[in-house]
Amino acid sequence: MSALPRQEIINRRMPIVVFFLATISGLLLFAVSRYQWLPPEVQREFLLRGQANVSSVRRLPAERGLIFDRQGQPLAFNTIEYEIGVSPNLITRDKRLDVARQLGVILQRDEYELLQLLNSNTSWQLIARPVSAQIGQQIADLNIFGLIINPLSKRFYPQGELMSQVLGFVIESNDNTRGAMGVEGSYNQTLAGRTLQEQVSAIPFGLPSDTKPTGQRGMSLVLTIDRDIQFWVEEELRRALEQTGATRGTVIVMNPRNGDILAMASLPSFDPNNFIRVSDPALLRNPAISETYEPGSVMKVLTIAAALEQGVITRDWTYNDQGVLTVGGINVRNWDRRAYGLVDVTTLLVDSLNVGAATVAMSMGTDEFYSRMRAFGIGQPTRVDLTGEEAGIMKVPGDPDWSEANLATNSYGQGLSVTPLQMLTAVNAIANDGLMMQPRIVYQIIDGDKVIDAQPSALGRVTSKQTADIVTEMMVQVVEREGGVARARVNGYTIAGKTGTAEIPSPTGYETGPNSSIVTFVGFLPADDPQISVLIKLDRPNEYWGSIVAAPVFRQVAERLVILLGIPNDQTRQLLQAEGGRVNSGGR
Amino acid sequence: MSKQTWLQHALAQRGFQPQNQVVALIVLGILIVLVFGGIYLSQVANFATTNRQIEELIAVRDRLERTNEQLRAEIAALETVPRLLARARELGFRQATANDIEYLVVDGYNPNRDRSVVPLVAAAEDAPPVYEETFGGWLQQQFDALRRQFESFGR
Repeated sequence: MSALPRQEIINRRMPIVVFFLATISGLLLFAVSRYQWLPPEVQREFLLRGQANVSSVRRLPAERGLIFDRQGQPLAFNTIEYEIGVSPNLITRDKRLDVARQLGVILQRDEYELLQLLNSNTSWQLIARPVSAQIGQQIADLNIFGLIINPLSKRFYPQGELMSQVLGFVIESNDNTRGAMGVEGSYNQTLAGRTLQEQVSAIPFGLPSDTKPTGQRGMSLVLTIDRDIQFWVEEELRRALEQTGATRGTVIVMNPRNGDILAMASLPSFDPNNFIRVSDPALLRNPAISETYEPGSVMKVLTIAAALEQGVITRDWTYNDQGVLTVGGINVRNWDRRAYGLVDVTTLLVDSLNVGAATVAMSMGTDEFYSRMRAFGIGQPTRVDLTGEEAGIMKVPGDPDWSEANLATNSYGQGLSVTPLQMLTAVNAIANDGLMMQPRIVYQIIDGDKVIDAQPSALGRVTSKQTADIVTEMMVQVVEREGGVARARVNGYTIAGKTGTAEIPSPTGYETGPNSSIVTFVGFLPADDPQISVLIKLDRPNEYWGSIVAAPVFRQVAERLVILLGIPNDQTRQLLQAEGGRVNSGGR
Repeated sequence: MSKQTWLQHALAQRGFQPQNQVVALIVLGILIVLVFGGIYLSQVANFATTNRQIEELIAVRDRLERTNEQLRAEIAALETVPRLLARARELGFRQATANDIEYLVVDGYNPNRDRSVVPLVAAAEDAPPVYEETFGGWLQQQFDALRRQFESFGR
């Protein structure tokens, strides 16, 4: 067989080679084209890997939103502090002493100590953190190559201790700044904003990006709190603690018509700018929503309202008060252990008769009584937009430790516990024609140029308007009638109110002796067109009774409130109403 | 003599030999590279200068914003109620009591009357952008950028 010529061999093999190459190319093309239809998560991964070669990711922590009162007064701000560091290698040895001297003068520190830091064998060394904006600026003005000045955002509360338990505070750390307690805690997500991750190009000559894109900053809040009212309320509370010897106290001012909390003060409190130095962590909590107490006789208002609504009693209902009533094996007695004889409902409330309240509750029956108390929010949180709210305790039939005696004692505010805000919210339902409004602390949310109004919300109708009107009249008699709580009267204004004096439970029963009561007064005004409601609560005052201790504090607070809120006295208001107007505190 | 003949003759007279053509092409190529290189360098220099200016402006803006924050915080601290009260007392004011306040009833005035709000006037539509850039203007911009670049190097 003769060998084929070389050209012939090439010609024969060429199609095979071409076919082989074309097949390989086709397969490669197919493999490459498959990348176009990869699952999205794989595509993203490839994209990120690609970007990582030409850029890096920098975290831009969001600037926290601000907090204002309803008048626009700033309550929480962000300020700048600085962290001063140094790269020792970037400062020549002969200059270090001079730098240490300059820094020592500004930082008020020993220059030898600073020189040691400058001589340290590290790539970066902390000099001072935090330093104020002024000092940071002075150091920046030195323009020393090698000094690294990093700004640090710091939460600042310009009002100091004012409403600190309402505002809460911010725990600042390098990578996780978060709000705790109060509004800062409950609205942390809203205030915190969104941490952005910015792609920083590693390619030279890349344009620097604007590091503050819109929408990064957290939203700001406008609270229902009025700073001026809050200030005066805290002042009155402080004075009350001094005068009465009470160890602690709480005052809440609300608008019963819409549930706005105008002031919420508790003492002692703390400075949120220095919360870390608080010796007793319990001070960080807001007692107005997180501390429960036995409400005492204020509860009779709810018992009477519930019974009237149920129809087991009427305005003219009477009973024979013999001074003692035996229920479930316990003897219920009046506060003065007297028998009052034939008594009507108004007198029951004015004289705060335990026997009468227990009689009314027995008439209602357990199911009705507890379902109506639950409707008033007893034993349930109000769902106010603040962190740390307690629900209180109300034992009900079926609970292992409930007995029939509870029905009697609960009717006059013993054997159950509420928070001050719960109690005021329940009484507000009477002031608001039977409609119970949810308490709220945030009035508006500001998101850039958008202002979102937080709408008032009703928790439910607990009584009819007619029932609410009757109970209001009775509460007016509590203040106005001869023998009533004269200390709560405000000249020119009709007040509806009720005192409460509660014993303090102890492991062996109730505490006895001096400073062993919790006194309260709950009231609203003007009684015929309520615009504000106030709860005063003082713990362990020197005097025992709420009518003696809490009522005068209410009067002092109410006298200041009518001026601050521009609420005219009854006479002027009626004249104005005759003209077709209606005065309210909406202007504030 | 045909046309081709006199052209070949003219070229031969000028010494335009093949080796000369190669040199001319190389020179032309170098010239083109230089022109494009110059334009590229001018652009890059322009870019770098703009970058530095923007970075400086961002730094100034950040500093001003921080100063503003600081000032706002200081103003807020100065406007706290205790400070305002103290200042008011210094100026001779005192707290009003209920007896100091006189409410006047204005006949026919209802503070809760329906409030009327002037309807917002729709903003006039933005005028379409006008493009006025010319080639001459663009050249001028490049020249200015180059000059700024040299000036900044000289600083």
